[in-house]
Amino acid sequence: MSTMQRHRKLFALFSVAAGAFLGGSLRLGAAEVQYLNTDVDTDSAKFEEYRDLDSGFRLALLRLLGESDDRERVIDFRVINAPRDDARYTLSYGRAGSYGITLDYNRIPHNFGNNGRLLWTRTAAGRYEIPDEIQRRLQTEVGFNRPNLFFPFLNELLAPYIANADEIDLGIQRDRASAAVDFGGMRRFSWGLEYTHENRSGTRPFGGSFGLFNATEIPEPIDHDTDQAELSGEWKGAAGGLRFGYRHSRFQNNIDTVRWDNPFRVNDSGDPLGILAPTPLSIGGSSTGIADLAPDNESNLLFLNGRARLGAWWVNGGATYNQMEQDDELLPYTTNRGIRLLNDDGTPFDPTIPDTLPIRTAQRESTRMSLSAQAGRRFGKLWDLTFRYRLYDFDDESPRTEFPFYISFQASFVNRARITVPYAYRTQDATAELGRNLGLATHVALSYTLRMVDREFREVDSSDENVFRLALDNRPTDRWNIQAQYEHGDRSIDGYNPLAQLHNLSIPDPLITTHPDMRKFDQAERTYDSLRVQTQWAATDAVGLSFGVSGRDESYDESIFGLISDELLEYNAEVNYSPGENLSFFLFGHRADRQSFQRNRESGGSPSEDPADDWTLDLDEVTDTWGLGINKKFAKRWTSEVSAQWSRSDGFADFFSPPGGEPDLAEDFDDYDDIDLLALFGRVDYQITSHASAGLSYRWEEYDIESFLLRGLRNYMPGAILLNADNGDYTAQILGVNVTVNF
Amino acid sequence: MRSHLLLVLLCTAALVAFLGGQGGAAPQEPQAEPAPAFVGGEVCATCHADAADHLKGTPHGKQAFASLGPQGCETCHGPGSAHVQDPENPALHPRIDKLPATVQSEVCQKCHSGKSQFFWHGSVHESRNLSCISCHSIHSFKSDTGQLKAANTAEACVSCHKDIRAQLWKSSHHPIREGKMTCTDCHNPHGSATPKMIRAASVNEQCYTCHQEKQGPFLWEHPPVQESCLNCHTPHGSNHIKLQKASVPYLCQQCHANLQHPSELLDASRLGDRPQGPDGESGAANRLFNRACSNCHAMVHGSNHPSSPYLAY
Repeated sequence: MSTMQRHRKLFALFSVAAGAFLGGSLRLGAAEVQYLNTDVDTDSAKFEEYRDLDSGFRLALLRLLGESDDRERVIDFRVINAPRDDARYTLSYGRAGSYGITLDYNRIPHNFGNNGRLLWTRTAAGRYEIPDEIQRRLQTEVGFNRPNLFFPFLNELLAPYIANADEIDLGIQRDRASAAVDFGGMRRFSWGLEYTHENRSGTRPFGGSFGLFNATEIPEPIDHDTDQAELSGEWKGAAGGLRFGYRHSRFQNNIDTVRWDNPFRVNDSGDPLGILAPTPLSIGGSSTGIADLAPDNESNLLFLNGRARLGAWWVNGGATYNQMEQDDELLPYTTNRGIRLLNDDGTPFDPTIPDTLPIRTAQRESTRMSLSAQAGRRFGKLWDLTFRYRLYDFDDESPRTEFPFYISFQASFVNRARITVPYAYRTQDATAELGRNLGLATHVALSYTLRMVDREFREVDSSDENVFRLALDNRPTDRWNIQAQYEHGDRSIDGYNPLAQLHNLSIPDPLITTHPDMRKFDQAERTYDSLRVQTQWAATDAVGLSFGVSGRDESYDESIFGLISDELLEYNAEVNYSPGENLSFFLFGHRADRQSFQRNRESGGSPSEDPADDWTLDLDEVTDTWGLGINKKFAKRWTSEVSAQWSRSDGFADFFSPPGGEPDLAEDFDDYDDIDLLALFGRVDYQITSHASAGLSYRWEEYDIESFLLRGLRNYMPGAILLNADNGDYTAQILGVNVTVNF
Repeated sequence: MRSHLLLVLLCTAALVAFLGGQGGAAPQEPQAEPAPAFVGGEVCATCHADAADHLKGTPHGKQAFASLGPQGCETCHGPGSAHVQDPENPALHPRIDKLPATVQSEVCQKCHSGKSQFFWHGSVHESRNLSCISCHSIHSFKSDTGQLKAANTAEACVSCHKDIRAQLWKSSHHPIREGKMTCTDCHNPHGSATPKMIRAASVNEQCYTCHQEKQGPFLWEHPPVQESCLNCHTPHGSNHIKLQKASVPYLCQQCHANLQHPSELLDASRLGDRPQGPDGESGAANRLFNRACSNCHAMVHGSNHPSSPYLAY
């Protein structure tokens, strides 16, 4: 049976069943079948990053609508892009105000790169291997040529293997099924039940380097199952209401670990300098790398929301309590059997077996709690006043676990104890907002927010931020509105402790120091100003214009090193023209100019005190986005649609370093992610009958990326084995033939 | 500084007391003609047959609405006898869109005050003088669901949030323009208890609904990750991979530039296409190509490996 026949039978079956279920009728609302002919000039995965536009047929749209005889119960079944990787199927059934059921199945592809070169062979889920004889041969070659372990030699050594390597397309498929039931609708009591199951499978690029002078990329195997269920209830009264519920979610990673062979080592080596391999300094390291992938986790959330009218005041608020935990089994310190250690008493200590760990499972648990309350009222027709308070508390309740040492990159033993750190923080926002109507057309609001943050184990224990906001909403005429907002924030801190990042040392180590003047921007003192003005004007019933300016200027003036400033300035303009049902037109443009400035000082093992070692970086990126669309009906039976979008980003990295230090010179580059995307679309349809039409569509896309990160990328480059999957430039043309029925 | 909070509370209390005595001086408002009587929906349908017929296919044409709003059309529009008596008088047209925004929303809130609309009062959209009909239309909606004036949710949102529309066209983006998710997956435009109308109790808890593998908690945490995903990511679109606010490695160096390799200048002389030196050495830094810092620090969201305090694998 062909796919078409199968679908036709399924449709007939569904129609009969749904009609019988409804006691009414089921009809076709709309259907559109497309044949796509796709021509892409490269294998870039970017073209189909989140979509499936391969050549062939697809059911672009199917909509079945049904009603019971009394028109009270309705059913709506919608299919988009079946049976493709980006298909979506949604079924809704219900009685307005009484109950509703929604079933949804959403397929979301996410492609990362095509035609990558995989040096390894996948032999099992989470296992990538290289034949031992190849590892042995490469290890021997590397051993014999130790003084020559630079790019030319290594490149030549690996080239034949890279040339014969398998190709791999990197991407994941996210399939999400959900069911939601709502009982009670608009009644005094209502209940809701939601359940979602999602599976993600595929691969994505993952950094699996074997040491400091190495960069290895492997495919991370993905097989994730996530289940989420929520039961909620609601009570509605004349003067208020309550909402409450429980939500459980469970994440399960079906591939706990990924293990991949080291091409240059067939057997393990305990060389203490192994993290420097493969260089003349070392040819050691582990024969395999192993990563502990995302652990299974669970969360349990309770929530309670309330709202009420108390005289002239409205009040609402909510509380949530979310407990999160994971207790995955831990990997041993290393799988490298070449590393031999001794206990204090001289007996052997085997770091390759989990029994030698202080804990066998992770034993992690955290809680997130939030409380919020808002209250407000109007005073006559002129004034309004609103108060808001919000508390959010994150607490890591996990035990502090000390690990007496660690093995860096599975290669080098580091005799320095590390202890886990239960970071915690609490934020509180308290806001008072006073508004006033100025006539019927204008509302002005002034607000003050005090934002307080308390942290544990970080550089800043507490910070306060004063935020003032002035908002104006004005409608000078029925056809014209203006919205404007200005905000100023000023954050102060109680002191900055640069040594806080050493909390993960269980024993103070005088050899470890930090730069005293480095500031992390998320905690540092700052001021910011932001402005947003947007105006929309309907010049006539057919013509609309809008224009807007917005900007934000963040300044970290007190920071000597780190992020110093971050500025964004944006403009937008749009014209709409819709003289009637037969024609509509829009054109918009947007420019965003973002500039950030950061300052650092190059240091070795201890902080440099020489200003000549400073370097600064200005990052400037300008993004222009334009869009155009025309819909036109003509000659009674013809409809046409044309649209164009163009987005162009131009970035520049401007470095400076004063002469005389280390570094001495700094060189700019102008491909700080320069990206062009031009998408053109045109479609014309001919109305064959009152319900059927046929037409052609054409899409043209051109994507071009010049990124400094991608310069000169090859499968093998100095110290790097990369998948080098294609996610770059493409030019695509998609010709579509469409047949549509619409009722 | 926190003593300011007390001061602010005292000032606002005084303000409340002061404002309590205000309110008499109302702005000039057009005098609405009294509308003393309901005429019934059948009377409305004699002239507005199209609207009445269209309504039958929507929830407002069902029995549930009839039971909640026994006055039919006038449940929302108010008594219509004055309009019936003088239908040509525009001042007597019972048009909801001519009412102040707060009054418009009160009409809808008579029924729609729970579920998604639970936190409408005090929401950003309410406080910025928007009303339900800023986005929705009862009689002439374009969307398949939600009775929106725009064709879909994202279009409704970007009709005002123009900057977000531009961001959605950036190279790194969530699949919104592909139609695989939409604004309301993360935001509740009717208001929520969380800033920016985020549906969950915090940004992170929202992100975890789709990216639960990042939730942990992990053996080795990266504290800014726990505090807010927005410390490093910009969710509406970015020119840089992974929705990063700035590109790696410079994003990382905004916080990590203390000592050793994090403090290195990674300028154009270290890029991957630089010519090889005579001895085969290259200027290329493995922190400046491909995945940059995460070539090695792959577990930047948190690691569960006992030997990975620096968030390598």
